[in-house]
Amino acid sequence: MAASSAPSRGSGASPVAWVAGALVTLLYPLPFEWSGQAYYETVGFLVLLNAMLGIGWNIIGGWAGQFDFGPSIFFAIGAYTAALLNIHWGWNAWLALLGAMVVSAIICAAITYPVTRLRGHYFAIATVAMWMIAQPIGATWSLINGSQGLFIPVAAGGGFVHGLLTMEFPGRDKGLGFYYLSLVLFVITLLAARAIERSKWGFYFRAVRDDQDGAEAIGIDSRLYKVIARCLMASVFAAGGTVYGFWALAVFPDQVLEVNWNILPMMAAVVGGLGRLWGPVLGAVVLIPISQIMTTTLGTGPLAGRGIDLIIYGAIIMVIAGWRPNGLLSLPWSEWAARLRGRAPAAGKA
Amino acid sequence: MAPLLQVERSTKRFGGLVANRDVSLAIEPGEIVGLIGPNGAGKTTLFNCISGALHPDEGRIVLDGTDITNARPERVCRLGIARTWQVVRSFGRMTVLENVICGALRRTGRVAAARARALELLHFTGLAGKEDVAAAALTLADKKRLEITRALATSPRLLLLDEAMSGLTPFETTAAVELVRRIHSELRLSICVVEHVMEVVMPLSHRVVVLDHGEKLTEGPPAEVARDERVITAYLGDRYRGRV
Amino acid sequence: MTLFLQAVADGLQMGLLYALVAVGLAIIWGLMEMINFAHGEFMMLGMFGAWGLSVWLGWDPLVTMLPLAVVMYGAGVLVYRGLMQKVQRGEVFTQIFATVGLFFFIQNGVVALFTSDYRFIEGSLLTRLSGVNLTVAGVRIGIPLLVGGLIALALFLILYLLIDRTDFGLALQATSEDRDAAMLVGIRPQRMYAVAWGLGTALVAIAGVILANFFSVYPQAGLSFTVLAYAIVALGGFGSILGTLMAALLVGVVQSVTAAYLPPAFKDAFVFASYILIGLFRPQGLFGRF
Repeated sequence: MAASSAPSRGSGASPVAWVAGALVTLLYPLPFEWSGQAYYETVGFLVLLNAMLGIGWNIIGGWAGQFDFGPSIFFAIGAYTAALLNIHWGWNAWLALLGAMVVSAIICAAITYPVTRLRGHYFAIATVAMWMIAQPIGATWSLINGSQGLFIPVAAGGGFVHGLLTMEFPGRDKGLGFYYLSLVLFVITLLAARAIERSKWGFYFRAVRDDQDGAEAIGIDSRLYKVIARCLMASVFAAGGTVYGFWALAVFPDQVLEVNWNILPMMAAVVGGLGRLWGPVLGAVVLIPISQIMTTTLGTGPLAGRGIDLIIYGAIIMVIAGWRPNGLLSLPWSEWAARLRGRAPAAGKA
Repeated sequence: MAPLLQVERSTKRFGGLVANRDVSLAIEPGEIVGLIGPNGAGKTTLFNCISGALHPDEGRIVLDGTDITNARPERVCRLGIARTWQVVRSFGRMTVLENVICGALRRTGRVAAARARALELLHFTGLAGKEDVAAAALTLADKKRLEITRALATSPRLLLLDEAMSGLTPFETTAAVELVRRIHSELRLSICVVEHVMEVVMPLSHRVVVLDHGEKLTEGPPAEVARDERVITAYLGDRYRGRV
Repeated sequence: MTLFLQAVADGLQMGLLYALVAVGLAIIWGLMEMINFAHGEFMMLGMFGAWGLSVWLGWDPLVTMLPLAVVMYGAGVLVYRGLMQKVQRGEVFTQIFATVGLFFFIQNGVVALFTSDYRFIEGSLLTRLSGVNLTVAGVRIGIPLLVGGLIALALFLILYLLIDRTDFGLALQATSEDRDAAMLVGIRPQRMYAVAWGLGTALVAIAGVILANFFSVYPQAGLSFTVLAYAIVALGGFGSILGTLMAALLVGVVQSVTAAYLPPAFKDAFVFASYILIGLFRPQGLFGRF
């Protein structure tokens, strides 16, 4: 796909663009808070959540080059672990999040190492098989209450700051609170990914992707690094699952194992630009609103709930695969920007 | 002095085809050994068994006292064997520098140190100035050079070169031979070279091993081997026996 | 013991139908090493086609099987020429990705048109025969499933003869062995690939038409069949047609026996776990060679 996947160097965007972007991201929910439209705050929350998951997926899919179609099992493991830690042992949400990440990584290592012998398509199918095995387990396991789900209790009367520290927002500021929670997690994930990209692991993942046999010949244990990459992804998904669980205040197997959690992060990464650090962010910003617009336009009409958004996603995937496999980041943005700037003076003169 | 690499009666079969039969070979520290033989003689199979890409069905392979017969490729590399491939390989989507860094990380573990070592080696092998070129965009000669640089970055004691000169122009071939000589004299490695180009392998090697139809035919100093009738027959066929 | 034998008998019959589902995948895989996440969706389309025609025109699925197969053949060729041809020479990743998109597009297209409600075919020949049984050695063999299995077996044999005994089949095999050499003797690989896709799609759609007599028809039915088909192709040694048949029979039996002794939700889980185990211990499949 990409001709050269050198670590991102800010992709040539000017400092002004960076500051503007950061300001928009920080201030985005405030107008909606004042106007009482929590819906848009939730959209922002979902964009950040999926961007974060997309960055996580990029580690196994983009850098290590292994197609994982079942990452939602770790989303579910994270949500359930955190919920159980919070409900049964009273752990604070952030501690529970760390616990969820650790448990998820351990389980990931255990179930992934055996299948690292598989390559390409075979590995992809194995991840689907794992997801399909997880579904009846989720629906029938008594520890997690099966399909009845787990409910997360929220103590009344906490303030906004208290909410940020415990992920519990009993009042009106829930939308705002979860937006900033997810923003914090997103930034942490982004910075961690950037560090990994430039580290030995980053090099080794890409070596395994480009030429597994060649990588082994220069001393890289390809099976180990496939596992490490997937475990990193599993930790990110577990963190995402935790936040989602506390937001939804309940964890149901069919919700946390839903196909959307498999497809959206992966789509965000590929549509944005596979293997590029900011790819999943661009992808999430473009794709999530589509789903939300569909929900609002179709409302409760005859086509509502009929997966129209997924039809559109499917079409987008096919178009990207067939015509722009390197994603949106690979479009000649700087060329277009230059052409716009070049034309402007001429238009001004006329 | 004990040999660095000892191959003892290695046999490898693919279904009904016996690619290597009872092949024994030793490489002493500091030697350059040429491995020659007609196409299909089993040279690359032997390399694959030594480097761990394949495992022999019978026999043993010992590196400096350690049995590596069934070791995985990454362990063989860690123990000190590096190789290049008959069809040149590289991490196409990474730059030249990044490719070599991957090799150097075997020894240092820290990217900054690996980068420094990689730059040194690129300078040594003549790729300085091309650090940021995507590996897939290089010419064939440069790709081979990159493959060798990357292998050297793992600090091997034994370097296996599989037809490193194939596909090169005469000018490029001379440069490549020069590079191999310098690697041997300055980095003090043992080298085993599989080659078809006689003008290259004979002057370069201290000793030559000849394979034919999966078996070792003979071995010895290049001049002797070149005059050996069985070797001539293997390459040129029965009609030329006794005539050359 | 009778329970076990019953499960085996049921499993063998289902296995024949699974063989029909999987063989299209085996052909495409054997020829082009391409994965198709949307394979089961074409089966689902076959199911909906059979249901739709039976509801609107009153035609029996056994009758509509042939015209639907022809239509689905065309659909397969269309998918190849429209999309897969483009991604074929690219990266494996993009190929997988493309068929994932197709999967979402088809499945949700059907949801949009028909909702996710479960549908049933009523009044077809096979459903009307549903109480009729053969009893052999204490084991009850339902006539409908038996007929379905026999149709599947017949098609399988026709396919085998087509690939093994005709010039066309020879051309297909040649292309899968060495595409460039095949071109040198005048075979057009693109045409072979398109036909392979058409054939694969048509076969899995026929399987869907037959299965629609016994199973509920709903848009999400496809994915588990896709994974099942892959497990079968992997077990059978990737691209071997007879291997696929034997693996499918085995899978049918395993699934049936599992369902007899474990809660129904787990019946597929065992098969999927086998796929993972096979990948581990015998990557060339049970019947393949390396």
